[in-house]
Amino acid sequence: MTTIEVNGLRKRFGSSAALDGMTFVVRPGHVTGFVGPNGAGKSTTLRMIVGLDRPDAGTATIGGRRYAELPCPMRHAGALLDPHALHPARSGRDHLRWLARSQDLPDTRVDAVLALAGLTAAGRRTAGGYSLGMRQRLGVAAALLGDPPVLLLDEPFNGLDPAGIVWMRGLLRDLAADGRSVLVSSHLMSELQDMAGHVVVAGHGRVVADAGVDELIGAYTSLEAAYLELTAGVGGIR
Amino acid sequence: MRAAWRAEWAKLLTGRAAPAVPLGLAVLLTAGGVALGRDSVDPVQLRLLGVRLGQAAVAAAGVQLLAGEYGSGLIRTSLLAVPRRLDLLAAKAALLTAFVAPAAGLAVGVAVIGLPPGGALARAAVASVVYLILVGLLGLGVAAVVRNSATAVGIVLALLYLMPMVLRMLPDPDWQRVLYRLTPATAVQALTTSTAGPVALPLSPAAALGVVAAWAAGALALGAFVLHRRDA
Repeated sequence: MTTIEVNGLRKRFGSSAALDGMTFVVRPGHVTGFVGPNGAGKSTTLRMIVGLDRPDAGTATIGGRRYAELPCPMRHAGALLDPHALHPARSGRDHLRWLARSQDLPDTRVDAVLALAGLTAAGRRTAGGYSLGMRQRLGVAAALLGDPPVLLLDEPFNGLDPAGIVWMRGLLRDLAADGRSVLVSSHLMSELQDMAGHVVVAGHGRVVADAGVDELIGAYTSLEAAYLELTAGVGGIR
Repeated sequence: MRAAWRAEWAKLLTGRAAPAVPLGLAVLLTAGGVALGRDSVDPVQLRLLGVRLGQAAVAAAGVQLLAGEYGSGLIRTSLLAVPRRLDLLAAKAALLTAFVAPAAGLAVGVAVIGLPPGGALARAAVASVVYLILVGLLGLGVAAVVRNSATAVGIVLALLYLMPMVLRMLPDPDWQRVLYRLTPATAVQALTTSTAGPVALPLSPAAALGVVAAWAAGALALGAFVLHRRDA
């Protein structure tokens, strides 16, 4: 059972504070939604958890260790942060193959996650020709390659067709039900209401609410109403 | 480090091997010196003129190996697979060396075919191969600093070809002479010359290699620092 611990992250970009003491814990067993206005610091937080961005202060750990300290890190945490982070001339399958080698995983894992993402046929084509929805599927396949106990996904529903949205919803719920810690940033409150067990609401680079979905629905009638109430007056981009 | 090496190697095997294009060009340009004949005061230097052309392509290969990943966005996936950034840079440097060394060896070997063997020829040939490897690493280092292919290639080509010209504009001749010795252009001249003694050369071959090694090491060190500090 691996948790994600975000503790007092701070980051300034020029004169504006992107993160101002972001602190929360993601526990296994349910999907945790990560919501907040644009510029609230969600993506920066996710990038810091996997070491792409450097905090000015604070720590982010996975099972007590920084991502960069993990051997074969993709076996400990899978991340879909940027569906376009691939080489357009490489096929989807080859993209996963080099990742598998880097994590000391066999090619059988590549075919397993391609099938899981519904890309078995498309995997032979170059990824440059993929639509956004297909890139999201490839990104999910890459995140699941190492069968990690922790998953981080930034706006995974973007660009998915209706069938893809249903697929993603079921997949994330199943992954959490297996006992994984799943952190999903999204602006789609109705999706999260059906899928997430817990929600972290961010604003101005810190947490403004951290509560169970049922709790929020009980207090505000719906997750969307709760979100709008909690983030009223909390701007994102300043 | 082993994981970083595996990642780089696998990327190369599964990719379109983009750096292979400039590397192939480097071999052609460098080996092309063989066409220049042997009627010269210093036939070794004449034949190795191709090194001065081939270096541009080797530098481009070094740049491409890293800046290409920034161009496509692949770097963010690479850093998820290999989050220790210095390992990533070291693996790329090792991979580049592993490919430039045999390519340069072949090209320089072809360039000097038919010349009478001797210590001077062997020294110039080996120095040329080492020089080309260092130029590739210089390209990689600059790419780590500026992250953009076009900018990085521009900087490296300016360093390799334009520095002597720029130095000529300096008003102080003493400074001009000192700085002139520190340019890669002067170094390649010293490295590929076999007959002229140290009197005629502004640098000894050993000092020339030192100069180029310092440029490459400086670029890689700055690149490593920037890669380590900056957000991806």
